[in-house]
Amino acid sequence: MATTIRRLSLSAAWLVVALVAGLPVVGVVLGLWPTVALTWADVNAFIAYNGLSESIANSLLTALVAPLLALYVAFMVYSQYRFSPRWQTLEKRLAPLLSLPHLAVALGLVYLFSSGGMVWDALWGLFGQPAPTHFGLERKSLITMILAISLKEIPFFLLIFSAIGRQLPIKSWLLQGRALGYSETTSWWLLVFPGALQQSRLALLAAMAYTVSVLDVSLLIGPNIPQLYAVLLYEWQTSFNHLAQAQAFMGNIVLLLMLGVLVALIYLHEFLILRRLTHHAVMGSPLPVTRFNRVFVVWLGFFSLLSVAVLTTFLLWSLGGDRQGTIDYSQFSLALWQQEWFFIQLPLLNSIMIALISSVLGVAITLLALELQRQRKHYMADHYWLLAILLPQLSMVYGWQIAHSSMAGSYQAAWIILAHLPFTFAYSYLVLRGPFQSLDRHYELVSASFGYRYWQQWWQVRIVLLRPALLIAWAMAFSVSIAQYIPTLMIGAGRVATITTEAVAVASGNEQSITALYMLVQSALPFLAFFVASILAQRIRGSFDAAHH
Amino acid sequence: MLRITNCQICAENWRINVPDIALANGELLVLTGPSGIGKSTLLHWLLGDTVEHVRVSGQISLNDKSLDHLKIEQRHIGLLMQDVHLFPHLTVRDNICFALPREAQWSSKRQRREKAQALLADIDLAHLALRYPAQLSGGERSRVGLIRALANQPQVLLMDEPFAALDPHTRQQISTWSLDKLSSEGVPAIMVSHDIGAIPANAQHLNLAQYHDYHSQGAN
Repeated sequence: MATTIRRLSLSAAWLVVALVAGLPVVGVVLGLWPTVALTWADVNAFIAYNGLSESIANSLLTALVAPLLALYVAFMVYSQYRFSPRWQTLEKRLAPLLSLPHLAVALGLVYLFSSGGMVWDALWGLFGQPAPTHFGLERKSLITMILAISLKEIPFFLLIFSAIGRQLPIKSWLLQGRALGYSETTSWWLLVFPGALQQSRLALLAAMAYTVSVLDVSLLIGPNIPQLYAVLLYEWQTSFNHLAQAQAFMGNIVLLLMLGVLVALIYLHEFLILRRLTHHAVMGSPLPVTRFNRVFVVWLGFFSLLSVAVLTTFLLWSLGGDRQGTIDYSQFSLALWQQEWFFIQLPLLNSIMIALISSVLGVAITLLALELQRQRKHYMADHYWLLAILLPQLSMVYGWQIAHSSMAGSYQAAWIILAHLPFTFAYSYLVLRGPFQSLDRHYELVSASFGYRYWQQWWQVRIVLLRPALLIAWAMAFSVSIAQYIPTLMIGAGRVATITTEAVAVASGNEQSITALYMLVQSALPFLAFFVASILAQRIRGSFDAAHH
Repeated sequence: MLRITNCQICAENWRINVPDIALANGELLVLTGPSGIGKSTLLHWLLGDTVEHVRVSGQISLNDKSLDHLKIEQRHIGLLMQDVHLFPHLTVRDNICFALPREAQWSSKRQRREKAQALLADIDLAHLALRYPAQLSGGERSRVGLIRALANQPQVLLMDEPFAALDPHTRQQISTWSLDKLSSEGVPAIMVSHDIGAIPANAQHLNLAQYHDYHSQGAN
């Protein structure tokens, strides 16, 4: 009887984790069935859609260039920090820097560096001159988009390199390289980068899948004519006439094909780079790129400053911005905050509630998934668990939306929590897997020798030692939920407003000061989560490091 | 000729006054002593690497040229560790190419690969040329590691328990082969070892424990 109950509960637990981890595939597969009968005329209309090929090319270019740029910069930063005393500081700051939402970084760049941006105003202001209007980043362009995404992805790749670095004997490789007559920088590129690149495939795919289907950032800072592909596809997906639905179906297939092209490009890039690096290794020649490495020693200072500058800019705009799109420092007031507070309360509460529940559930299901694998003594490959961040969001949410409509689901927060769950799960898995797997099992062995039963060891030893990592995973999952735009909008049909959906809606208009206010609130929530997590982590016993010894 | 003079390893409450060392071409010095006494630290200092937890001072000269202020990559000192760390993304042949000096006679990829192949053929390992390090046995890895270190034409070779990971039978074979090879190449070498019984008769021997001495905190 006890065995049957145990088997049943194990099966139920596997079912839960499989459902949450597999929900993205369900979405993508459901999206592959047309919701309307397709005709050749629909296909022809799709192919002839004005600007389609340019839109696809621009999206592919952005999705390829921005993550690769971030990967290279992150590697140069990593090589400058890894064996310096600054590494500890960088590792500590990485998670909060990572939590700054994409949208905040994107709009922050525009507020700071576009023509009329605060940086230029301040610079020219020093000489008592107005900044020239033609100077600076374009508010909406491919360059701005690539710059914003790559800047935002650098901390993500640093996190990945930090994890990879724990498994590779980098210090010994560098020592060997130097003993054989190569400089440290050349050794980093010729000896460490090939392994790091091969192990970054999944991370590259995640960043590319995100970039190719990101909607909020594409909408607000991507080019207008033609729009980026994600914007086109979203418009088709949310229009309900026959042609738009047919286009949404075909567009979805094209998006998946684009992802396939990006996967092929990841392998092609890796092949070409490894061939080039092997050539240099065989010839014993240093790389020209190594000259630039030293510059990246300032990255942490730069990125921290940029984050503070972005938040300060939002704050200044929310206090002193006017409807003419200028900022008046002499007229600072809380008037806008008082006026908007009435409108912001509900979205704020919705955001916090959805993020709290989906993040706690995400972390709990991650623990369940890890524990089930531990009991089977076999951990499945990461890509099965990280499907939510490896597949394009627009495709999976499109399928979910079809299922949601066909089930006549209501537009309530519960559905949105369910739609956020695969993402909070995937990110908590990314953070927790390492500490969970590498936790020294001797701690449990010792407690077993004291007579503690399996679940007592699990609860009183394993979980206690993992608490700091659990808190980081929770803060990360919370931040991910706060920044979700597509699932919130498409599953909630716009009826469940969150800070992010409101921020995008406001930012689509011209009210720069109100946008700044919403962006500040959106950025503050993840920071608060990380702040709470770090305070709690300091107060409790056990440490992330303990998991690694 | 490698000379090490006035060398002192200082920790918080102990120090070692290393006797002056002079090592001619082809000679071997074996460093022994209990774990944690500073054998590997001394090797890392000789190599030019940053040494943690202790302070090492002294002068190193090679053929009357001081190495004291040179970086690791400028010293022409080779290093062979317990795990030889062949680079996993390069084939055995390309690992050796990586170590070949940048000289005119090996200026093309073809010439460098031919040279690497010839070095492997010298030790009857030509058939491993296109394999990756993960496909080699422990003994093969050690031999390729030594050939790679020698391909770089070091003026001194430092070895940190290079054969400790091998099984006793292979260890004996590879150790004899390697020390003969070093002697025939005329490269002076310093080897850290725990195995006092395996010290070759013609090698110099330095037991650091004999020079170890405790002192009160703060005094030097």
